[in-house]
Amino acid sequence: MDLTPGTREEMAQALAAATRDGRVVDIRGAGLHSRRGRPFDADQVIHTSGLARIVDHIPDDMTITVEGGVTVGQVLDAAGAHGQGWPQAPAQPGATVGGVLAAAVSGRRRLRFGPVRDSLLEVVVATGDGRIVKGGGRTVKTVTGYDLPRLLTGSLGTLGVIVQATLRLWPLPMAERWFTARGDDDAMLALAQRVLQQLHRPTAVILRPGALHVCLTGVPGDVVPPEGMSEGDEPAMLEGPGMVEAGVPPGSLPAFARRLAGDGRAFEAWMGTGVCMVPVASPGEVVAVRDLAMLHGGHAQVVDGDDALRADPFGPVPAGADIMRRIRDSFDPAGILCPGRFAAAEAVPA
Amino acid sequence: MTTTAAGLADRLRQLLGPDRLLEGDLARNIYSHDGSIVGGDCGMVALPETTDEVAQCMRLAHAAGIEVTPRGSGTGLTGGAVPLDGGLVISLARMRDMDEVDVANSCVWVQPGVLNLDVSTAVAHLGLHYAPDPSSQQACSIGGNVGTNAGGPHCLAYGVTVQHVLGVEMVRPDGEVVVLGGAAPDPPGYDLRGVVVGAEGTVGVVTRVLLRLTPLPPDVRTMLLDFATVAEASAVVQAIIAAGVIPAALEMMDRNMALAVEEFVHAGLPTDAAALLLVEVDGTPAEVVTFTEVVERVAREHGVRTVRVAQDEEERALLWKARKTAFGAVARVKPSYYLHDCVVPRTKLVEIMEAIGEITEREGVMCLNVFHAGDGNLHPIIALDRSDPDETERAMRAGDQIVRACVAMGGTLSGEHGIGVEKRDYMPLVFDHDDLQAQACVRLAFDPDGRMNPDKVLPTGTRCGEVGLADSQVPEGTWI
Repeated sequence: MDLTPGTREEMAQALAAATRDGRVVDIRGAGLHSRRGRPFDADQVIHTSGLARIVDHIPDDMTITVEGGVTVGQVLDAAGAHGQGWPQAPAQPGATVGGVLAAAVSGRRRLRFGPVRDSLLEVVVATGDGRIVKGGGRTVKTVTGYDLPRLLTGSLGTLGVIVQATLRLWPLPMAERWFTARGDDDAMLALAQRVLQQLHRPTAVILRPGALHVCLTGVPGDVVPPEGMSEGDEPAMLEGPGMVEAGVPPGSLPAFARRLAGDGRAFEAWMGTGVCMVPVASPGEVVAVRDLAMLHGGHAQVVDGDDALRADPFGPVPAGADIMRRIRDSFDPAGILCPGRFAAAEAVPA
Repeated sequence: MTTTAAGLADRLRQLLGPDRLLEGDLARNIYSHDGSIVGGDCGMVALPETTDEVAQCMRLAHAAGIEVTPRGSGTGLTGGAVPLDGGLVISLARMRDMDEVDVANSCVWVQPGVLNLDVSTAVAHLGLHYAPDPSSQQACSIGGNVGTNAGGPHCLAYGVTVQHVLGVEMVRPDGEVVVLGGAAPDPPGYDLRGVVVGAEGTVGVVTRVLLRLTPLPPDVRTMLLDFATVAEASAVVQAIIAAGVIPAALEMMDRNMALAVEEFVHAGLPTDAAALLLVEVDGTPAEVVTFTEVVERVAREHGVRTVRVAQDEEERALLWKARKTAFGAVARVKPSYYLHDCVVPRTKLVEIMEAIGEITEREGVMCLNVFHAGDGNLHPIIALDRSDPDETERAMRAGDQIVRACVAMGGTLSGEHGIGVEKRDYMPLVFDHDDLQAQACVRLAFDPDGRMNPDKVLPTGTRCGEVGLADSQVPEGTWI
């Protein structure tokens, strides 16, 4: 039976009970990032929507502490009322903070503001066996103890349920605007390179087949159309039956994008960061995109898709997998949290 | 020296030669200390020059069951690089090679012994720099920076070390070499790279570091503001940021510190001011103009006495020299110093500065403050003469009360120096039993034998416990 605990203690109790009874649990926020990792059969879905309170917002410290089920939209509204924002977050107002962090979903502005993991200061997690564990600290700077916030970011629910997070906020920019240019892929690539080289800290440089979208942030005098571009809107999110997120070294992204374009694929390359979203429709396409990413020194994971697309969601087992496994075992000793999500097609080294 | 240790010394001498294994009393004494007042017990010191040599040292130490403490330049302020039980120190100071800069990816692989400032110097001709800039940057090493997740004045806008380390090559406690992270963003799995940075040498020996290089800002302006009260200066710190400006750096210095520094650097600091703020804004020329106006306006609204804008690069360098040599200037007051680097929420700056003043006055010790005000990262430096046991005792007592006051105001133990030995036993002030146990488990996952820099970071007696001993329940065919 599904559960929606209303407090962190209830969440911990629910997990402790699942551990005791050997019930496999899936964790659900808004469900926007749940189709990640290899599918697994859950005996129970535990929702975080009962943990939807803003715990503490200190505008002058530029920090906000929220429960895991609070949405990105709630954070932006609370912060926005004080001229602040969470620029590392994805443009998904309905996504939960816990989900965004557990899946390590960064927004398009990461070129200027960095990945979402850089915005998490303190995290409180309910472990698989029902302990409540805190890591990090609420100040904007801390090196006090091991970095659990970074460990939890991207753990896809396999270490525990994020019941509370303290985020670092940023001042809303004095000005921000999107600009667009359209043309053939070579011309757009050249334009992207020029923007990256000539402008100081552009906020986003997004290449799509036949189009370039640039976001600039800063003082009004700097937020003007780059040469060859005109004002436009932020492009809508890419859609497809499934989505692969590739990561290649930023310098290899132009070559990677050129190959995708040559193959006639849709894509969204976040120039300067190495991130590239590629819609996929079949497991064969996942393999093709991953092979190409690996050829360019990177990797590719399926971030959305049906069961068939997620048969091998990550590709090769990364270095240090035995360390990761021991960490997981200590947070979730009975292995009830999303087991099988980090699956590998190849043999796993001991 | 035990038989095992003697056997290990023989093998290490064979491997490195007699010049690169230090066993004499002088060396063992030197390597029993770092920049803190912690003293330890060093058995021997290995000076490897390559990753392979480090790996061989680690395999030998593993076979002998000997504890290992990695060490960079030894400038740490918490005893993190001080061996406590007569173990092996692996000094990375000779590993000072830098690869060619990867311009396309704005990054560079360096060995851990490379000094922080040398990175920025080496890449300046490409219009790049390495952003984290601890005040000790002329002496501290990248490996040490990785160990402590070091900060520096410019981390306010640019972020601390972990945000600038894309990947690490690390020799694990059993001698296996592993590369975590890399130039491609967000590799699958847990962010182990993020855990290694700031782990204070307790999870392995980092042998190469992939540093992210940041473009030099097109324009920069450095201002010195002086105030009649610390409260006014603290209010300005908050107000600048509340006005939507995150300066590149926002540093405070109190009168005691300014006096010591001015005598030393002759930077023309107004020594009659109660507090000075060093504010640097950078960015495009338009940003710099706008930010400068905001800073000046806010400062005037809060009763600034004078605003001195550095007129050229020379003057800017002089102001920064005043800031970055501050710790050294303390030597003009007393032969030694003791400090903490706790952090408070920015909104508590006024309160904590008052509390520090009261505590140090009550204990009858001299306190000089110079710190990263923008992110609430304090450095109350208590000047002392360690040959005076009474003064030392009072300094320690004052330090203890300062740490507790910071935590009571919602702060934390360390912003950039790390926990080491010195702050280890304060950890229960900010973390409960379950929190510490979880951290112990993370550490154990990297170092199952507990031989890496033991008795650092976590209070003695913190154990992973039963949760770390269970058989893995991770299903077949999955890695986590």
